[in-house]
Amino acid sequence: MNYFIESLLAAFSLITSLDANIYRIVLTSVSISITATLIAALLAIPAGVAMALNTFAGKASLQHLLNTLMSMPTVVIGLLLYGLFSRLGPLGNWGLLYTPTAIIIAQAILIFPIMMNLTIAAVNSADPRLVPTLISLGARPYTLTVHVIRATRYAILAALITGFGRAIGEVGAAMMLGGNIQGFTRTMTTAIALETSKGEFELGLALGLLLLIIAFALNFALSWLNKS
Amino acid sequence: MTSAYELSDITLEQQKKIILDIPQLTIDSGQCLALLGENGAGKTSLINLLAFTSRANQGSIRLFNQVVRSKLKPSQRRRIGLVHQQPFLLPGTVADNIRLALSLQGVKRSQIPALTQQALVQVNLIDLADQVASTLSGGELKRVAIARAIAYQPDILLLDEPFSHLDHRHIQLLEDSINNFAQQTGKTVIFSTHDRFQAQALANATINLVAGKITAAPLLNLYHGTLDQHFFNTGKMMIHATSELTNARHLAVDPREIIVSPQPLESSMRNSFSGRLILIAEEGHAIRLTIECAERFHVIISPEALSSLNLSLGDTIWLSFKSTAVTVF
Repeated sequence: MNYFIESLLAAFSLITSLDANIYRIVLTSVSISITATLIAALLAIPAGVAMALNTFAGKASLQHLLNTLMSMPTVVIGLLLYGLFSRLGPLGNWGLLYTPTAIIIAQAILIFPIMMNLTIAAVNSADPRLVPTLISLGARPYTLTVHVIRATRYAILAALITGFGRAIGEVGAAMMLGGNIQGFTRTMTTAIALETSKGEFELGLALGLLLLIIAFALNFALSWLNKS
Repeated sequence: MTSAYELSDITLEQQKKIILDIPQLTIDSGQCLALLGENGAGKTSLINLLAFTSRANQGSIRLFNQVVRSKLKPSQRRRIGLVHQQPFLLPGTVADNIRLALSLQGVKRSQIPALTQQALVQVNLIDLADQVASTLSGGELKRVAIARAIAYQPDILLLDEPFSHLDHRHIQLLEDSINNFAQQTGKTVIFSTHDRFQAQALANATINLVAGKITAAPLLNLYHGTLDQHFFNTGKMMIHATSELTNARHLAVDPREIIVSPQPLESSMRNSFSGRLILIAEEGHAIRLTIECAERFHVIISPEALSSLNLSLGDTIWLSFKSTAVTVF
Protein backbone atom coordinates (compact mmCIF):
# COMPACT_ATOMS: atom_id res chain seq x y z
CA MET A 1 0.00 0.00 0.00
CA ASN A 2 2.89 2.29 0.92
CA TYR A 3 4.36 1.73 -2.50
CA PHE A 4 1.13 2.85 -4.14
CA ILE A 5 0.71 5.96 -1.99
CA GLU A 6 4.35 6.94 -2.42
CA SER A 7 4.05 6.49 -6.16
CA LEU A 8 0.88 8.56 -6.24
CA LEU A 9 2.56 11.38 -4.32
CA ALA A 10 5.55 11.20 -6.66
CA ALA A 11 3.15 11.35 -9.63
CA PHE A 12 1.49 14.46 -8.21
CA SER A 13 4.83 16.11 -7.71
CA LEU A 14 5.79 15.26 -11.32
CA ILE A 15 2.63 16.98 -12.51
CA THR A 16 2.89 20.02 -10.26
CA SER A 17 6.60 20.50 -10.91
CA LEU A 18 5.73 20.81 -14.62
CA ASP A 19 8.14 18.01 -15.52
CA ALA A 20 9.31 18.68 -19.07
CA ASN A 21 9.37 15.00 -19.96
CA ILE A 22 5.72 14.56 -18.94
CA TYR A 23 4.47 17.65 -20.71
CA ARG A 24 6.34 16.76 -23.89
CA ILE A 25 4.49 13.43 -23.90
CA VAL A 26 1.15 15.19 -23.24
CA LEU A 27 1.84 17.69 -26.01
CA THR A 28 2.75 14.92 -28.48
CA SER A 29 -0.41 13.02 -27.58
CA VAL A 30 -2.74 16.02 -27.77
CA SER A 31 -1.27 17.37 -31.02
CA ILE A 32 -1.47 13.97 -32.71
CA SER A 33 -5.06 13.41 -31.58
CA ILE A 34 -6.21 16.94 -32.46
CA THR A 35 -4.74 16.57 -35.96
CA ALA A 36 -6.37 13.15 -36.37
CA THR A 37 -9.70 14.55 -35.13
CA LEU A 38 -9.60 17.49 -37.53
CA ILE A 39 -8.73 15.29 -40.50
CA ALA A 40 -11.46 12.78 -39.62
CA ALA A 41 -13.95 15.62 -39.03
CA LEU A 42 -13.28 17.16 -42.43
CA LEU A 43 -14.28 13.88 -44.04
CA ALA A 44 -16.78 12.40 -41.58
CA ILE A 45 -19.03 15.43 -41.03
CA PRO A 46 -19.86 16.17 -44.69
CA ALA A 47 -20.11 12.42 -45.36
CA GLY A 48 -22.47 11.96 -42.39
CA VAL A 49 -24.66 14.90 -43.41
CA ALA A 50 -24.78 13.68 -47.01
CA MET A 51 -25.70 10.17 -45.90
CA ALA A 52 -28.42 11.43 -43.55
CA LEU A 53 -29.94 13.71 -46.18
CA ASN A 54 -29.99 11.29 -49.08
CA THR A 55 -31.59 7.96 -49.78
CA PHE A 56 -29.73 5.56 -52.01
CA ALA A 57 -29.42 1.86 -52.68
CA GLY A 58 -27.27 0.18 -50.05
CA LYS A 59 -27.79 2.86 -47.39
CA ALA A 60 -28.87 0.31 -44.78
CA SER A 61 -25.84 -1.90 -45.52
CA LEU A 62 -23.52 1.10 -45.26
CA GLN A 63 -25.08 1.94 -41.89
CA HIS A 64 -24.43 -1.62 -40.70
CA LEU A 65 -20.84 -1.39 -41.92
CA LEU A 66 -20.33 1.89 -40.03
CA ASN A 67 -21.78 0.36 -36.88
CA THR A 68 -19.38 -2.56 -37.21
CA LEU A 69 -16.38 -0.29 -37.84
CA MET A 70 -17.23 1.70 -34.72
CA SER A 71 -16.23 -1.24 -32.61
CA MET A 72 -13.11 -2.18 -34.59
CA PRO A 73 -10.22 -2.97 -32.18
CA THR A 74 -7.43 -0.43 -32.43
CA VAL A 75 -4.77 -3.12 -32.71
CA VAL A 76 -6.45 -4.40 -35.86
CA ILE A 77 -6.13 -0.94 -37.44
CA GLY A 78 -2.54 -0.86 -36.18
CA LEU A 79 -1.88 -4.26 -37.68
CA LEU A 80 -3.34 -3.40 -41.10
CA LEU A 81 -1.47 -0.11 -41.31
CA TYR A 82 1.71 -1.78 -40.09
CA GLY A 83 1.37 -4.11 -43.05
CA LEU A 84 1.00 -1.15 -45.40
CA PHE A 85 3.72 1.07 -43.89
CA SER A 86 6.37 -1.48 -43.00
CA ARG A 87 9.45 -1.61 -45.20
CA LEU A 88 8.13 -4.58 -47.14
CA GLY A 89 4.59 -3.21 -47.40
CA PRO A 90 3.13 -1.47 -50.47
CA LEU A 91 3.62 1.99 -48.88
CA GLY A 92 6.90 1.09 -47.22
CA ASN A 93 8.95 3.61 -49.22
CA TRP A 94 6.88 6.49 -47.79
CA GLY A 95 8.78 6.00 -44.56
CA LEU A 96 5.75 6.50 -42.36
CA LEU A 97 6.26 3.69 -39.88
CA TYR A 98 7.21 4.92 -36.38
CA THR A 99 6.25 8.52 -37.19
CA PRO A 100 3.49 10.71 -35.70
CA THR A 101 1.89 10.76 -39.19
CA ALA A 102 1.29 6.99 -39.00
CA ILE A 103 -0.44 7.41 -35.63
CA ILE A 104 -2.52 10.33 -36.99
CA ILE A 105 -3.64 8.21 -39.95
CA ALA A 106 -4.54 5.30 -37.67
CA GLN A 107 -6.47 7.49 -35.22
CA ALA A 108 -8.29 9.28 -38.05
CA ILE A 109 -9.36 5.91 -39.49
CA LEU A 110 -10.38 4.73 -36.03
CA ILE A 111 -12.61 7.71 -35.24
CA PHE A 112 -13.98 8.34 -38.75
CA PRO A 113 -16.88 5.85 -38.41
CA ILE A 114 -17.65 7.10 -34.88
CA MET A 115 -17.82 10.72 -36.00
CA MET A 116 -19.75 9.90 -39.16
CA ASN A 117 -22.29 7.84 -37.22
CA LEU A 118 -22.74 10.54 -34.59
CA THR A 119 -23.15 13.15 -37.35
CA ILE A 120 -25.84 11.01 -38.99
CA ALA A 121 -27.58 10.71 -35.61
CA ALA A 122 -27.27 14.48 -35.09
CA VAL A 123 -28.92 15.26 -38.44
CA ASN A 124 -31.59 12.61 -37.95
CA SER A 125 -32.47 13.98 -34.54
CA ALA A 126 -32.81 17.55 -35.87
CA ASP A 127 -36.30 18.96 -36.31
CA PRO A 128 -37.89 17.03 -39.20
CA ARG A 129 -39.07 20.35 -40.65
CA LEU A 130 -35.53 21.72 -40.98
CA VAL A 131 -34.59 20.13 -44.31
CA PRO A 132 -37.95 20.61 -46.11
CA THR A 133 -37.94 24.25 -44.93
CA LEU A 134 -34.43 24.89 -46.25
CA ILE A 135 -35.24 23.19 -49.57
CA SER A 136 -38.45 25.17 -49.98
CA LEU A 137 -36.49 28.36 -49.29
CA GLY A 138 -34.15 27.53 -52.15
CA ALA A 139 -31.22 25.74 -50.50
CA ARG A 140 -29.13 23.74 -52.96
CA PRO A 141 -26.99 20.72 -51.96
CA TYR A 142 -23.98 22.75 -50.77
CA THR A 143 -25.95 25.46 -48.93
CA LEU A 144 -28.29 22.81 -47.52
CA THR A 145 -25.31 20.93 -46.03
CA VAL A 146 -23.85 24.13 -44.57
CA HIS A 147 -27.13 25.15 -42.94
CA VAL A 148 -27.87 21.66 -41.63
CA ILE A 149 -24.40 21.60 -40.03
CA ARG A 150 -25.04 25.04 -38.59
CA ALA A 151 -28.40 24.02 -37.15
CA THR A 152 -26.98 20.84 -35.59
CA ARG A 153 -23.62 22.31 -34.62
CA TYR A 154 -23.80 21.37 -30.93
CA ALA A 155 -24.51 17.72 -31.66
CA ILE A 156 -21.79 17.70 -34.31
CA LEU A 157 -19.33 19.32 -31.90
CA ALA A 158 -20.22 16.54 -29.47
CA ALA A 159 -19.28 14.05 -32.22
CA LEU A 160 -15.95 15.85 -32.57
CA ILE A 161 -15.25 15.68 -28.83
CA THR A 162 -16.23 12.02 -28.66
CA GLY A 163 -13.88 11.29 -31.56
CA PHE A 164 -11.01 13.17 -29.88
CA GLY A 165 -11.66 11.31 -26.63
CA ARG A 166 -11.46 7.97 -28.42
CA ALA A 167 -8.29 9.01 -30.29
CA ILE A 168 -6.35 10.24 -27.28
CA GLY A 169 -7.27 7.18 -25.23
CA GLU A 170 -6.33 4.50 -27.78
CA VAL A 171 -3.14 2.59 -27.29
CA GLY A 172 -2.95 -0.32 -29.75
CA ALA A 173 -2.36 1.57 -33.00
CA ALA A 174 -0.13 4.22 -31.37
CA MET A 175 2.06 1.48 -29.98
CA MET A 176 2.32 -0.56 -33.19
CA LEU A 177 2.78 2.39 -35.55
CA GLY A 178 4.50 4.94 -33.31
CA GLY A 179 6.91 2.74 -31.47
CA ASN A 180 6.99 4.91 -28.31
CA ILE A 181 10.03 6.91 -29.43
CA GLN A 182 10.85 9.49 -26.79
CA GLY A 183 10.10 13.06 -27.81
CA PHE A 184 8.75 11.93 -31.17
CA THR A 185 6.02 9.32 -30.99
CA ARG A 186 5.77 8.69 -27.26
CA THR A 187 2.10 9.38 -26.46
CA MET A 188 0.43 9.28 -23.07
CA THR A 189 -1.06 5.84 -23.59
CA THR A 190 2.05 4.20 -25.03
CA ALA A 191 4.13 5.72 -22.26
CA ILE A 192 1.77 4.37 -19.60
CA ALA A 193 1.79 0.91 -21.18
CA LEU A 194 5.49 0.63 -21.92
CA GLU A 195 7.28 2.82 -19.34
CA THR A 196 5.43 1.21 -16.44
CA SER A 197 6.77 -2.18 -17.49
CA LYS A 198 10.25 -0.65 -17.32
CA GLY A 199 9.64 0.31 -13.65
CA GLU A 200 8.61 3.93 -14.25
CA PHE A 201 5.40 3.54 -12.27
CA GLU A 202 5.28 7.19 -11.11
CA LEU A 203 5.53 8.45 -14.67
CA GLY A 204 2.73 6.10 -15.76
CA LEU A 205 0.59 7.20 -12.86
CA ALA A 206 1.18 10.91 -13.57
CA LEU A 207 0.25 10.42 -17.21
CA GLY A 208 -2.77 8.34 -16.19
CA LEU A 209 -3.96 11.16 -13.94
CA LEU A 210 -3.52 13.70 -16.73
CA LEU A 211 -5.40 11.42 -19.12
CA LEU A 212 -8.21 11.20 -16.58
CA ILE A 213 -8.26 15.00 -16.29
CA ILE A 214 -8.53 15.28 -20.09
CA ALA A 215 -11.34 12.68 -20.10
CA PHE A 216 -13.10 14.58 -17.33
CA ALA A 217 -12.77 17.88 -19.21
CA LEU A 218 -14.12 16.28 -22.39
CA ASN A 219 -17.09 14.83 -20.54
CA PHE A 220 -17.76 18.14 -18.90
CA ALA A 221 -17.70 19.82 -22.32
CA LEU A 222 -20.06 17.16 -23.68
CA SER A 223 -22.61 17.57 -20.91
CA TRP A 224 -22.42 21.35 -21.32
CA LEU A 225 -23.05 20.92 -25.05
CA ASN A 226 -25.97 18.60 -24.38
CA LYS A 227 -27.52 21.26 -22.19
CA SER A 228 -27.08 23.81 -24.98
CA MET B 1 -54.83 33.82 -68.66
CA THR B 2 -51.64 31.80 -68.16
CA SER B 3 -51.72 28.72 -66.05
CA ALA B 4 -49.58 28.52 -62.95
CA TYR B 5 -49.80 24.73 -62.82
CA GLU B 6 -50.88 21.97 -65.16
CA LEU B 7 -51.03 18.53 -63.60
CA SER B 8 -51.42 15.42 -65.78
CA ASP B 9 -51.98 11.84 -64.66
CA ILE B 10 -50.62 12.42 -61.19
CA THR B 11 -50.46 9.43 -58.87
CA LEU B 12 -48.84 9.58 -55.47
CA GLU B 13 -48.49 6.39 -53.46
CA GLN B 14 -47.15 5.90 -49.97
CA GLN B 15 -46.79 2.43 -48.51
CA LYS B 16 -48.90 0.98 -51.33
CA LYS B 17 -51.78 3.34 -50.53
CA ILE B 18 -52.90 5.85 -53.13
CA ILE B 19 -52.63 9.29 -51.56
CA LEU B 20 -53.39 11.34 -54.67
CA ASP B 21 -54.96 10.43 -57.99
CA ILE B 22 -55.37 13.47 -60.21
CA PRO B 23 -55.83 12.77 -63.94
CA GLN B 24 -55.97 16.44 -64.93
CA LEU B 25 -55.83 19.75 -63.09
CA THR B 26 -55.09 23.24 -64.33
CA ILE B 27 -54.63 26.12 -61.91
CA ASP B 28 -54.75 29.54 -63.53
CA SER B 29 -52.39 32.20 -62.28
CA GLY B 30 -53.61 35.29 -60.51
CA GLN B 31 -56.27 33.64 -58.39
CA CYS B 32 -56.74 32.79 -54.74
CA LEU B 33 -57.58 29.12 -54.57
CA ALA B 34 -58.65 27.00 -51.60
CA LEU B 35 -57.87 23.28 -51.38
CA LEU B 36 -60.75 21.95 -49.37
CA GLY B 37 -60.93 18.51 -47.84
CA GLU B 38 -61.14 16.50 -44.66
CA ASN B 39 -58.07 15.43 -42.69
CA GLY B 40 -56.24 12.80 -44.72
CA ALA B 41 -57.82 13.88 -48.02
CA GLY B 42 -54.37 14.57 -49.49
CA LYS B 43 -54.24 18.36 -49.12
CA THR B 44 -50.73 18.48 -47.63
CA SER B 45 -49.47 15.96 -50.20
CA LEU B 46 -50.84 18.09 -53.04
CA ILE B 47 -49.33 21.28 -51.57
CA ASN B 48 -45.96 19.50 -51.32
CA LEU B 49 -46.22 18.34 -54.94
CA LEU B 50 -47.05 21.88 -56.03
CA ALA B 51 -44.07 23.16 -54.03
CA PHE B 52 -41.89 20.42 -55.60
CA THR B 53 -40.69 19.37 -52.15
CA SER B 54 -41.94 15.88 -52.93
CA ARG B 55 -42.46 14.05 -56.20
CA ALA B 56 -45.34 12.03 -57.58
CA ASN B 57 -44.85 8.38 -58.48
CA GLN B 58 -46.37 9.07 -61.87
CA GLY B 59 -47.44 12.00 -63.99
CA SER B 60 -46.08 15.42 -64.76
CA ILE B 61 -46.48 18.92 -63.42
CA ARG B 62 -45.93 21.98 -65.59
CA LEU B 63 -45.03 25.18 -63.80
CA PHE B 64 -45.88 28.28 -65.84
CA ASN B 65 -45.95 26.14 -68.99
CA GLN B 66 -42.52 24.65 -68.31
CA VAL B 67 -42.14 20.95 -67.59
CA VAL B 68 -40.27 20.42 -64.34
CA ARG B 69 -37.62 17.73 -64.65
CA SER B 70 -36.20 15.80 -61.73
CA LYS B 71 -35.11 18.97 -59.96
CA LEU B 72 -36.51 22.46 -59.90
CA LYS B 73 -34.21 25.09 -61.45
CA PRO B 74 -33.25 27.91 -59.05
CA SER B 75 -35.21 30.36 -61.22
CA GLN B 76 -38.29 28.13 -60.92
CA ARG B 77 -37.82 27.62 -57.16
CA ARG B 78 -37.80 31.38 -56.75
CA ARG B 79 -41.30 31.60 -58.21
CA ILE B 80 -42.78 29.53 -55.35
CA GLY B 81 -43.19 30.47 -51.69
CA LEU B 82 -44.26 27.71 -49.29
CA VAL B 83 -45.60 28.00 -45.76
CA HIS B 84 -45.84 24.67 -43.93
CA GLN B 85 -48.68 23.82 -41.58
CA GLN B 86 -46.35 24.15 -38.61
CA PRO B 87 -43.68 26.47 -39.94
CA PHE B 88 -40.12 25.97 -38.75
CA LEU B 89 -38.10 29.06 -38.05
CA LEU B 90 -34.35 28.74 -37.87
CA PRO B 91 -32.44 29.95 -34.80
CA GLY B 92 -32.01 33.72 -34.75
CA THR B 93 -34.31 36.67 -35.07
CA VAL B 94 -37.31 37.22 -37.30
CA ALA B 95 -35.20 39.34 -39.64
CA ASP B 96 -32.44 36.67 -39.68
CA ASN B 97 -34.97 34.15 -41.00
CA ILE B 98 -36.07 36.45 -43.80
CA ARG B 99 -32.50 37.36 -44.69
CA LEU B 100 -31.63 33.65 -44.83
CA ALA B 101 -34.46 32.99 -47.30
CA LEU B 102 -33.29 35.87 -49.47
CA SER B 103 -29.67 34.74 -49.47
CA LEU B 104 -30.65 31.12 -50.21
CA GLN B 105 -32.63 32.37 -53.20
CA GLY B 106 -29.54 34.13 -54.47
CA VAL B 107 -30.86 37.68 -53.96
CA LYS B 108 -28.10 40.32 -54.25
CA ARG B 109 -26.69 41.31 -50.87
CA SER B 110 -27.47 44.99 -51.49
CA GLN B 111 -31.19 44.26 -51.98
CA ILE B 112 -31.60 42.14 -48.83
CA PRO B 113 -32.29 44.91 -46.23
CA ALA B 114 -34.98 46.59 -48.35
CA LEU B 115 -36.71 43.29 -49.23
CA THR B 116 -36.62 42.16 -45.59
CA GLN B 117 -38.25 45.41 -44.55
CA GLN B 118 -40.85 45.16 -47.31
CA ALA B 119 -41.81 41.57 -46.36
CA LEU B 120 -42.25 42.50 -42.70
CA VAL B 121 -44.42 45.48 -43.65
CA GLN B 122 -46.62 43.23 -45.79
CA VAL B 123 -47.43 41.00 -42.81
CA ASN B 124 -47.56 43.92 -40.41
CA LEU B 125 -44.73 42.64 -38.21
CA ILE B 126 -42.14 45.35 -38.62
CA ASP B 127 -42.00 45.81 -34.82
CA LEU B 128 -40.92 42.21 -34.33
CA ALA B 129 -37.96 42.32 -36.75
CA ASP B 130 -35.38 41.89 -33.98
CA GLN B 131 -37.35 39.47 -31.82
CA VAL B 132 -35.87 35.99 -31.34
CA ALA B 133 -37.91 33.57 -33.46
CA SER B 134 -38.35 31.01 -30.68
CA THR B 135 -40.27 33.53 -28.55
CA LEU B 136 -43.04 34.20 -31.09
CA SER B 137 -46.69 33.22 -30.56
CA GLY B 138 -48.33 30.74 -32.94
CA GLY B 139 -50.03 33.46 -34.99
CA GLU B 140 -46.91 35.61 -35.22
CA LEU B 141 -44.86 32.59 -36.24
CA LYS B 142 -47.17 31.87 -39.17
CA ARG B 143 -47.03 35.48 -40.31
CA VAL B 144 -43.23 35.46 -40.09
CA ALA B 145 -43.25 32.27 -42.17
CA ILE B 146 -45.41 34.08 -44.74
CA ALA B 147 -43.06 37.06 -44.69
CA ARG B 148 -40.14 34.66 -45.25
CA ALA B 149 -41.94 32.98 -48.14
CA ILE B 150 -42.95 36.21 -49.89
CA ALA B 151 -39.74 38.14 -49.20
CA TYR B 152 -38.16 37.01 -52.47
CA GLN B 153 -41.33 37.99 -54.31
CA PRO B 154 -42.51 34.64 -55.65
CA ASP B 155 -45.39 34.41 -58.11
CA ILE B 156 -47.09 31.64 -56.18
CA LEU B 157 -47.72 31.41 -52.45
CA LEU B 158 -48.64 27.97 -51.12
CA LEU B 159 -49.98 27.67 -47.58
CA ASP B 160 -50.76 24.40 -45.84
CA GLU B 161 -53.61 24.79 -43.32
CA PRO B 162 -52.60 28.35 -42.46
CA PHE B 163 -55.52 28.95 -40.11
CA SER B 164 -55.32 25.83 -37.95
CA HIS B 165 -54.87 26.32 -34.19
CA LEU B 166 -55.29 30.10 -34.35
CA ASP B 167 -57.72 32.32 -32.50
CA HIS B 168 -60.11 34.64 -34.32
CA ARG B 169 -57.90 37.72 -34.07
CA HIS B 170 -54.86 35.95 -35.48
CA ILE B 171 -56.94 34.41 -38.26
CA GLN B 172 -58.01 37.92 -39.21
CA LEU B 173 -54.40 39.19 -39.20
CA LEU B 174 -53.31 36.20 -41.25
CA GLU B 175 -56.10 36.76 -43.76
CA ASP B 176 -54.94 40.36 -44.12
CA SER B 177 -51.36 39.19 -44.75
CA ILE B 178 -52.49 36.70 -47.40
CA ASN B 179 -54.80 39.28 -48.99
CA ASN B 180 -51.97 41.82 -49.14
CA PHE B 181 -50.00 39.36 -51.22
CA ALA B 182 -52.93 38.09 -53.31
CA GLN B 183 -53.98 41.58 -54.34
CA GLN B 184 -50.73 42.18 -56.20
CA THR B 185 -51.13 41.67 -59.92
CA GLY B 186 -50.62 38.17 -61.19
CA LYS B 187 -49.92 36.58 -57.81
CA THR B 188 -51.39 33.13 -57.19
CA VAL B 189 -52.32 31.95 -53.70
CA ILE B 190 -53.19 28.34 -52.97
CA PHE B 191 -54.08 27.37 -49.43
CA SER B 192 -55.43 24.18 -47.94
CA THR B 193 -58.13 24.09 -45.32
CA HIS B 194 -60.76 21.78 -43.92
CA ASP B 195 -62.95 24.78 -43.09
CA ARG B 196 -65.42 25.47 -45.88
CA PHE B 197 -66.29 28.91 -44.52
CA GLN B 198 -62.64 29.91 -44.40
CA ALA B 199 -62.32 28.82 -48.02
CA GLN B 200 -65.35 30.86 -49.05
CA ALA B 201 -64.21 33.92 -47.10
CA LEU B 202 -60.81 34.19 -48.75
CA ALA B 203 -60.70 32.24 -52.00
CA ASN B 204 -62.30 32.98 -55.33
CA ALA B 205 -62.24 29.31 -56.33
CA THR B 206 -62.16 25.99 -54.52
CA ILE B 207 -60.77 22.56 -55.28
CA ASN B 208 -62.56 19.82 -53.36
CA LEU B 209 -60.38 16.89 -52.42
CA VAL B 210 -61.81 13.60 -51.17
CA ALA B 211 -59.52 10.64 -50.49
CA GLY B 212 -56.91 11.96 -52.91
CA LYS B 213 -59.34 12.67 -55.73
CA ILE B 214 -60.65 15.98 -56.97
CA THR B 215 -64.42 16.22 -57.05
CA ALA B 216 -66.89 18.86 -58.10
CA ALA B 217 -69.33 17.68 -55.44
CA PRO B 218 -69.89 20.03 -52.51
CA LEU B 219 -68.32 18.64 -49.36
CA LEU B 220 -70.93 19.78 -46.87
CA ASN B 221 -72.80 16.47 -46.77
CA LEU B 222 -70.04 14.00 -47.44
CA TYR B 223 -70.35 10.36 -46.43
CA HIS B 224 -68.10 7.35 -46.88
CA GLY B 225 -69.31 3.81 -47.50
CA THR B 226 -70.15 1.40 -50.31
CA LEU B 227 -72.58 1.50 -53.22
CA ASP B 228 -74.68 -1.55 -53.98
CA GLN B 229 -77.58 -1.68 -56.43
CA HIS B 230 -78.26 2.09 -56.39
CA PHE B 231 -78.13 2.18 -52.60
CA PHE B 232 -75.19 3.77 -50.82
CA ASN B 233 -74.60 2.29 -47.38
CA THR B 234 -72.84 4.71 -45.02
CA GLY B 235 -72.88 2.18 -42.21
CA LYS B 236 -75.63 4.14 -40.48
CA MET B 237 -78.15 4.70 -43.27
CA MET B 238 -78.95 3.84 -46.89
CA ILE B 239 -79.13 6.68 -49.45
CA HIS B 240 -80.59 6.11 -52.90
CA ALA B 241 -78.27 7.18 -55.70
CA THR B 242 -78.57 6.80 -59.46
CA SER B 243 -75.10 5.75 -60.43
CA GLU B 244 -73.72 2.88 -62.42
CA LEU B 245 -70.42 3.08 -60.56
CA THR B 246 -69.59 -0.05 -58.66
CA ASN B 247 -66.47 1.04 -56.85
CA ALA B 248 -67.80 4.32 -55.44
CA ARG B 249 -66.69 4.94 -51.87
CA HIS B 250 -67.95 8.47 -51.27
CA LEU B 251 -71.30 10.20 -51.54
CA ALA B 252 -72.13 13.90 -51.36
CA VAL B 253 -75.55 15.53 -51.19
CA ASP B 254 -75.94 19.10 -52.44
CA PRO B 255 -77.15 21.08 -49.40
CA ARG B 256 -79.22 23.37 -51.64
CA GLU B 257 -81.09 20.45 -53.18
CA ILE B 258 -82.52 19.12 -49.91
CA ILE B 259 -86.15 20.02 -49.16
CA VAL B 260 -87.09 20.56 -45.53
CA SER B 261 -90.65 20.02 -44.30
CA PRO B 262 -92.36 19.63 -40.92
CA GLN B 263 -94.26 16.59 -42.24
CA PRO B 264 -93.31 13.74 -44.61
CA LEU B 265 -93.77 14.81 -48.25
CA GLU B 266 -95.83 12.89 -50.80
CA SER B 267 -93.43 13.02 -53.73
CA SER B 268 -91.39 11.07 -56.22
CA MET B 269 -88.21 11.80 -54.31
CA ARG B 270 -86.43 8.61 -53.42
CA ASN B 271 -84.75 9.82 -50.27
CA SER B 272 -86.79 10.93 -47.27
CA PHE B 273 -85.53 10.94 -43.69
CA SER B 274 -86.63 12.47 -40.43
CA GLY B 275 -84.28 14.01 -37.92
CA ARG B 276 -83.84 16.52 -35.14
CA LEU B 277 -82.92 20.12 -35.90
CA ILE B 278 -79.81 20.89 -33.88
CA LEU B 279 -78.43 24.09 -35.44
CA ILE B 280 -79.73 27.13 -37.27
CA ALA B 281 -76.90 29.34 -38.49
CA GLU B 282 -76.48 32.32 -40.76
CA GLU B 283 -74.14 31.65 -43.66
CA GLY B 284 -73.56 34.62 -45.92
CA HIS B 285 -76.97 35.58 -47.23
CA ALA B 286 -78.45 32.13 -46.57
CA ILE B 287 -79.37 29.97 -43.60
CA ARG B 288 -77.75 26.67 -42.78
CA LEU B 289 -79.75 24.07 -40.89
CA THR B 290 -78.05 21.09 -39.31
CA ILE B 291 -80.25 18.06 -38.83
CA GLU B 292 -79.26 14.97 -36.91
CA CYS B 293 -80.61 11.90 -38.70
CA ALA B 294 -78.69 8.64 -38.57
CA GLU B 295 -76.04 10.82 -40.25
CA ARG B 296 -75.74 14.57 -39.82
CA PHE B 297 -77.14 16.62 -42.74
CA HIS B 298 -76.61 20.28 -43.58
CA VAL B 299 -79.25 22.11 -45.58
CA ILE B 300 -79.01 25.59 -47.07
CA ILE B 301 -82.29 27.51 -47.26
CA SER B 302 -83.23 31.15 -47.73
CA PRO B 303 -84.08 33.41 -44.74
CA GLU B 304 -87.64 33.66 -46.15
CA ALA B 305 -87.99 29.87 -46.12
CA LEU B 306 -86.78 29.81 -42.52
CA SER B 307 -89.45 32.26 -41.37
CA SER B 308 -92.23 30.48 -43.31
CA LEU B 309 -91.24 27.10 -41.86
CA ASN B 310 -91.34 28.51 -38.33
CA LEU B 311 -88.63 26.15 -37.09
CA SER B 312 -87.26 25.82 -33.57
CA LEU B 313 -84.23 23.95 -32.33
CA GLY B 314 -85.10 20.41 -31.29
CA ASP B 315 -87.99 20.09 -33.80
CA THR B 316 -88.32 16.86 -35.70
CA ILE B 317 -88.28 17.69 -39.41
CA TRP B 318 -88.22 15.77 -42.67
CA LEU B 319 -85.55 15.94 -45.32
CA SER B 320 -86.28 14.91 -48.90
CA PHE B 321 -84.00 14.91 -51.90
CA LYS B 322 -83.89 13.35 -55.35
CA SER B 323 -81.30 10.80 -56.32
CA THR B 324 -80.01 13.41 -58.76
CA ALA B 325 -79.01 15.66 -55.83
CA VAL B 326 -76.58 12.93 -54.90
CA THR B 327 -73.07 12.59 -56.32
CA VAL B 328 -71.19 9.37 -55.80
CA PHE B 329 -67.52 8.93 -56.61
